[in-house]
Amino acid sequence: MSSTEPLYLVFLVTGFTVGFGHCVGMCGPIVVSLSLNLKGKSVLIPHLLYNAGRVITYAILGGLAGILGSFTILTSSIVSLQKGVLVFAGVLVLLMGLAMAGWIPFGRIFEDGGAGSSVLSKWFRRLSAAKSSIVYLPLGLLLGLLPCGPVYTALIASARAGMGSKSVLEGFFSGMGLMIAFGVGTVPALLLVGKLAGLRWMKSREVIYRISSFLMILIGIYFIILGIRY
Amino acid sequence: MLKRFWITSQNFSILVSVCLSIVVNQGPLREAIAADPASGSLVNCEIQRGPCTQELAGMAVTLDILPRPVKAMKDLKFRVTVSGGKPVRAAYIDLGMPGMDMGPNRVELRPVKDNVYEGQGVIVRCPSGRRTWKATVTLPESGKAEFVFDVIY
Repeated sequence: MSSTEPLYLVFLVTGFTVGFGHCVGMCGPIVVSLSLNLKGKSVLIPHLLYNAGRVITYAILGGLAGILGSFTILTSSIVSLQKGVLVFAGVLVLLMGLAMAGWIPFGRIFEDGGAGSSVLSKWFRRLSAAKSSIVYLPLGLLLGLLPCGPVYTALIASARAGMGSKSVLEGFFSGMGLMIAFGVGTVPALLLVGKLAGLRWMKSREVIYRISSFLMILIGIYFIILGIRY
Repeated sequence: MLKRFWITSQNFSILVSVCLSIVVNQGPLREAIAADPASGSLVNCEIQRGPCTQELAGMAVTLDILPRPVKAMKDLKFRVTVSGGKPVRAAYIDLGMPGMDMGPNRVELRPVKDNVYEGQGVIVRCPSGRRTWKATVTLPESGKAEFVFDVIY
């Protein structure tokens, strides 16, 4: 039995508990925005793909931390990328909010068969079309890079697991395993939030869309500010 | 009809709870709550100025973090000095944020000389902008001493 095996369980449970606290607060706005973007269509597959992408990114980061055996070397080399992803997430939520409110010039892209023809409107339509749920996977891969305290903590453990490994390969798999355990633990909370925000159960969606669009615009601006200041 | 109303109300209240959780977890509001004079300042250690000492079971426990200024996302050396007694086993430090679960981040300490223990660790950065961290020093079978301080991002 490997000495990291109990740690896998610890980080699976940590992911689960942190998911319902920290992740709902920090990643919740993005997940809610994605669900609202689906306009009452089934949210399960897109959210599973989004979460799968996120966990794959965590796994890669964990593997790298395990190889390097250093948390600070890894994070100092990706800090600019993370800053960019935070700004991107803000822009994404902001645009979704503006589009939902019908305040962007190329029309209400969230309406069925919206008339917008720009790259952005096409991309949003693809994002909201059920048949192209696969776009949620690269989105999850990218947003898995969002700076996050508990993810950093799990990466510290991955780096330590790598330091105690006998080979580079063992370090890679130890670090990767820890981050997969952590990432999988966070999935139930974000799936639940995504499902609740799917609005299939809600009759007066139009009112909710209006309120949500306003909140999304505020949250998008907040994320952009965080990204610039990060 | 009553059942449908009940289910819809229940779902709506869950969504409202989730939204509230999202709002309350956002940095500025939490900062405002933390800064509320009525809630009292949590910080009990000016770690940027120098080591901090607390009493624990008749012993004086001193925490120092180097190098200064103490910054997040940097490799840090944690030094604990115990005077007036000797821990039964090696001490350790749990790092966390007051009121926010950041996951388990433990610094194992090793004795470097009589009553002095050291270990390496990292204080991570919270994107919300919160800078207040808590180091809980545990001396096995003696108890815990909590040091709350601000770090630099």
